[in-house]
Amino acid sequence: MTSTDPHTDFDIFDPQYLIDPFPVIDEIRESACPIARTERWGGSWLPTRYVDIVAMAHEHDLFTSRSILVTPPPQMQFEGAYGGVAAPPISSDPPEHHWHRRLILPFFAPQAVAKYEQSTGDLCNQLIDGFAGVGAADAAADYAQQIPVRVIATMLGVPTEMSDEFTSWVRGVLEVGLTDAKVRFASRMKILDYFRAEIDDRKANPRDDDLITTLLNSEVDGEKVPEQYVHGVCNLMLVAGVDTTWSAIGASLWHLAQNPEHCARLVAEPDLWPTAIEELLRVYAPVTMARIVDRDVEFQGCPMHAGDRILMAFPAANRDPRQFDQPEQVILDRQVNRHVAFGAGIHRCAGSNLARLELRVALQTWLERIPQFALADPESVTWAGGQVRGPRKCAVVFPVK
Amino acid sequence: MCAIAAPELFGSDDYGNAVLLVDGDVPLDQHSKAMRAAGNCPEGAITIEQDSI
Repeated sequence: MTSTDPHTDFDIFDPQYLIDPFPVIDEIRESACPIARTERWGGSWLPTRYVDIVAMAHEHDLFTSRSILVTPPPQMQFEGAYGGVAAPPISSDPPEHHWHRRLILPFFAPQAVAKYEQSTGDLCNQLIDGFAGVGAADAAADYAQQIPVRVIATMLGVPTEMSDEFTSWVRGVLEVGLTDAKVRFASRMKILDYFRAEIDDRKANPRDDDLITTLLNSEVDGEKVPEQYVHGVCNLMLVAGVDTTWSAIGASLWHLAQNPEHCARLVAEPDLWPTAIEELLRVYAPVTMARIVDRDVEFQGCPMHAGDRILMAFPAANRDPRQFDQPEQVILDRQVNRHVAFGAGIHRCAGSNLARLELRVALQTWLERIPQFALADPESVTWAGGQVRGPRKCAVVFPVK
Repeated sequence: MCAIAAPELFGSDDYGNAVLLVDGDVPLDQHSKAMRAAGNCPEGAITIEQDSI
């Protein structure tokens, strides 16, 4: 950390923090003042203890979802007809939140996402076919990054051939755009333009068993839902369903590349998968959300003001030694693991069942094909962070069969 | 999560909300899975009541 004092001047975009935020987080969490404050990037509070983060997640009336990214939205830019398009239900507060969430939950129930298992496995195998004979690959860019965007495109009924564009738009919002207002605005407009046209297409040409068509035809209290809601859900599914899962897959492969004994155990003891997936999600939780304080309040001695931004650092909560024994260790058969990688309370990730399926299938397929692999050069691994933490370049080498 | 830890005890409805599949006592061979479901529920929503024998 190049900044002076993490308690009053932490910087979530500091190059060292992006590579490894946990030394700073641990220092804050284990101090007398476990909620830090910074004036950087629009100003924010950073709670680091599990109990505080979970308590704030449950106090959704006080810590609202009016703005959910870790830096404030671009100012003074005119979004025209898109000004009211948000990302329901993640950006919704009660009472609308209830129906905003209820309408999309059926698409993500365990029995509903199970139908993507076969196609996800086929996709993973195709990707590995592309580099299996070379003995080298970028586990982040050539593999992890390619998977969730295609699953989400399939769910939305939009062409998987556009995956590279979708990925660049999402990175424009969640990665580059967090510190570059122009990129964030332009990327958001591309996403909203694209789905505006898709919605118009479904109105003219309704499809069977299609998420956009189904949502357009949904009713709440006897009235069709507003198109702006459907538009916002499409926006959310792309923005929330791509970077996040890809980062979890990439970070897990980064871990496995450095821990061959974990690869060997997972191959030899497949019963470990359910606990192993939760443990990798705990240690490598990718997502930090934000909340906006509704009214002046003192929380754990911190004088918070209406409009203040809170960084819901779920990765910090997941490594709190008050909640988890040996929190920095990956214990594949950890039995008690109440992690909050998917958040907590009314905004807990609606897509968690799909994310778990993608993470499990991606890792199982990789280990079936490539049971032994290692980082090509640990120094060459690059990380994104801030909102979504995960490796963006992760070159690995492996024996060719 | 509970449906992964203890699929014989917990399922999910059409919205993905957890539902309890068993009525009355948890079968003996499911005790460890029940404990794991309780220990992994992110909302801390599962409590286990033990009767003294």
